[in-house]
Amino acid sequence: MKILVAVKQVAALDEDFEIRADGRDVDPDFLIRDLNEWDDFSLEEAVKIKEAAAAEPVEVVAVSVGPEEVDEALRKCLAKGADRAIRIWDAAIEGSDSIAIARILAAAARREAPQLLFAGVQSSDQSFASTGIAAAALLGWPHAAVVTQLNLAPGAKSAVLRRELEGGLLHEVEIQCPAVLTIQLGINTPRYASLRSIKQAAAKPIEVLSLADIGLGAADVGEAGSLSRVRRMYVPDKGRAQLIEGDAAQQAARLAEIIREFKGAHP
Amino acid sequence: MSRTDAVTRILFEAFSAVEVRLFYVLGYAAIAIFAYGVYVQIRKYRRGAALELEGRLWARFGAMFRSVLDGRSVARRDRGAGVAHRLIFYGFMLLFAGTATITLEYDILEPWFGIRFWHGTFYLVFSLILDVAGVALIAGLLFMMYRRGWMRLPKLDYARPDRVPGDPDFNRPQYRREDWAFLWILLIIGCTGYVLEAARLVWLADRPDVWDTRWWSPVGALLAQFMRALGLGQQAAALLRHGLWWFHGLIALVLIALIPYTKVKHIFTAAASLLVRDPLAAQRLPRVPESQVEAGAAKITDFNWKQLLNLDACTKCGRCHEACPARAVGAPLSPRDVILSLREFAHATLESGAVPSAAELDVHGKAPGQVAMETLWSCRTCMACVEICPVAVEHVPIIVQMRRKLVEDGAMDPLLTKTLQTIHKTGNSFGESKRKRGAWSKGLPFAVKDARKEPVDVLWFVGDYASFDPRNQKVSQLFAALLQEAQVDFGILYDGESNAGNDVRRVGEEGLYEVLATANVNALASASFKSVVTTDPHSFNTIRNEYPDFGGKYEIQHYTTLLKQLFAEKRLAVTRPLKYRVTFHDPCHLGRFNKGYDAPRELLALLGCELVEMGRCKANSFCCGAGGGRIWVPDPVGSEKPAQNRMKEAAMIPGLEVYVVSCPKDLTMFEDALKTTGNEGKFVVKELIELIREAIPVQRAEAVPA
Repeated sequence: MKILVAVKQVAALDEDFEIRADGRDVDPDFLIRDLNEWDDFSLEEAVKIKEAAAAEPVEVVAVSVGPEEVDEALRKCLAKGADRAIRIWDAAIEGSDSIAIARILAAAARREAPQLLFAGVQSSDQSFASTGIAAAALLGWPHAAVVTQLNLAPGAKSAVLRRELEGGLLHEVEIQCPAVLTIQLGINTPRYASLRSIKQAAAKPIEVLSLADIGLGAADVGEAGSLSRVRRMYVPDKGRAQLIEGDAAQQAARLAEIIREFKGAHP
Repeated sequence: MSRTDAVTRILFEAFSAVEVRLFYVLGYAAIAIFAYGVYVQIRKYRRGAALELEGRLWARFGAMFRSVLDGRSVARRDRGAGVAHRLIFYGFMLLFAGTATITLEYDILEPWFGIRFWHGTFYLVFSLILDVAGVALIAGLLFMMYRRGWMRLPKLDYARPDRVPGDPDFNRPQYRREDWAFLWILLIIGCTGYVLEAARLVWLADRPDVWDTRWWSPVGALLAQFMRALGLGQQAAALLRHGLWWFHGLIALVLIALIPYTKVKHIFTAAASLLVRDPLAAQRLPRVPESQVEAGAAKITDFNWKQLLNLDACTKCGRCHEACPARAVGAPLSPRDVILSLREFAHATLESGAVPSAAELDVHGKAPGQVAMETLWSCRTCMACVEICPVAVEHVPIIVQMRRKLVEDGAMDPLLTKTLQTIHKTGNSFGESKRKRGAWSKGLPFAVKDARKEPVDVLWFVGDYASFDPRNQKVSQLFAALLQEAQVDFGILYDGESNAGNDVRRVGEEGLYEVLATANVNALASASFKSVVTTDPHSFNTIRNEYPDFGGKYEIQHYTTLLKQLFAEKRLAVTRPLKYRVTFHDPCHLGRFNKGYDAPRELLALLGCELVEMGRCKANSFCCGAGGGRIWVPDPVGSEKPAQNRMKEAAMIPGLEVYVVSCPKDLTMFEDALKTTGNEGKFVVKELIELIREAIPVQRAEAVPA
């Protein structure tokens, strides 16, 4: 049995960041990269299934889309127990939206033919919460989103899972494999990947695939293959507040002055 | 035969040839049992991991003999035990040497070479010395019995803080029985020796070579007079002597045979442990070789032979148990019991012919002999145990090596996991941006040099707490201003600096430590400086003692010695002496770890402060509880924290005004403990730097332009 875990290397903002010259993203110099928090949980869920498997061996494969720096996140997955890692990259992928990324992941899933494709519910940096579900649609597989508990016997044709709904309701679902599950935070306790284990994971292979390797072309990805494109990224002007100090008369005088200033343009 | 030749030790007199032969058979049997025991022990040690010792052997022997002979390590914090142990040690050694020389003459020199020396004046002087030695031995033993039986010392209570009553290894009554058996057997050997001597004198009273020289054995002679006064006849004395001879001889042989199997073995294992002592055991933790797959100690055989020997050297004296701050506040840890648990474990698994399977060698867990993770995580690596151990048991590396295994397994507090991930991601434990590391210096009226961009004399390694903690940032600013006023050419590494890794390493995250140490060594290599100063004792320790293993060798000092030097060179001068009544808290990593006891005290004297020492000071300073990564893990709710325990101690000093610290973590821990122990308003916690600033006020005229 094989579980494919789609992971993303997300970006967190550093102090005093700046927007990129084209105004459509943060200057990468001000980003701190890390494995997406949700993916930490989905990978852990896969590794737990692998470790609990007695009869049938389970292979856990981590897959990510991105340039070479993404290897760092994949190595973390390998350190935590993934057997292999795949990274897909091509310059044409730049500018892809979540649907285009889902297309790439779906192609990778077709190539790997796993029983389950795990993804995080969402990514912490862009929060589309659509990549996993879109991949399911492209694959034509059943899917379940926001999974908080999973019971799966390795090799079984179906899995039973629970999903979190509004108002404290739980949804218990039986799903046919192969399926796509998006995993919610808190489903387990992700293990710590010690630095030594990450270093030792460098010996495990990270397979780098091009678009051609997974049967896609440049038109399927990037802005050409996307249904949306980012127009700009910006920090909205913050509302201004000020504390007026002094005694009542001084405060009143200052307040009147401010009102007059605002009225100034339209007497 | 001349008269002097006749004066000699009466040995097998009136023994039949069969008896003599029987004694030899028993003697050889005892030696054989002893030798087998020694073999089993050595085989056990050899089943541990390999270790290359550093340093020259003769220097090691010198240090060992000094320690064994002066007995000072036993006398520390327990003078009575020190005196009694010296009496027993020297008494026993002399008596043993006396008996050994008899063997030397009787069994070797005389039959093989015809040499005799055990007669005449030599014999008489020797018998006098041995009589005195016997008194010393018995006096020492009686005191030790009094100490065990009546003094009720808490450190001799074998109840374990990491077990509960009812557990099979909770208070280990067998240890108590063994202690008493050891004392009794020695006492019986000593006492029967005297009675035997006296009976011999009475028996041979008509032989002038024996009777006339009797006062060379004063105790025996006195006893003999007494026996005669009681009406003991020569025949009865002969019988008594014959019977006692066998009793005394057999019990001595039993003692010899049992040495390797009982606590008596400490006479060898303690000496051997002292011989292989690492003077930097806690200060410089062992590296994990690149080739080693598992970082930590999971199995008993993952400990090296020296550590297995350490386990056997322990005499259960309880000094570490008493000194441990975790134990003092009721945490489930006693360094003594970690050692004893592992010793029982090694005894159960490694002394039989074949080594059991790996699964049976797992030292982690709650079964007898295993060590629980709660115990390991209670340790603050403050080194109090290693420092006080009279026989050079090195607890801290053992605990850290076991923690390395826990870290590999992720078996730790989630908050600690989070902190380690944060440090990996941002290079500091505050999760702040690297860019903000030097931000505290923006509040200064001058710019602090970037040592990576321009050469400086002194490179200041600031450390995490002094860089990011708002309270400590103020201290950092004061120190920078002091350096500026003393015209020290200094700079910092700004965002080139990472967490020094001292505590990360002591948590057991060796891989992360390697990353941090390497990053700092590289950052330091990119800067131009003559020496390093740090305000953080934790950084001080690892840079001083551990970075050399990573290729970083620097001249480094803690700020206290640098400031002392600046005062001595008149580059700083006290203009407003302080009259405070203060006490000083020695930070573990400055004091015990690096022996920096004097500079802070000299500075306090320079400031005009009256220093009142706490009971636990200098080498016995009580850890604030922050070490070993414990600053990142909250102590259990409801239990006393080490820092609170310490505040209560300080509060007992009448009229105390300032509790002086010289470590950023101490400032954080104790200001908190001051409040939680209700001592706020009674006295204050201050960094030494703050007091110095107070004694050297900034010249107002200069600060405010006209």
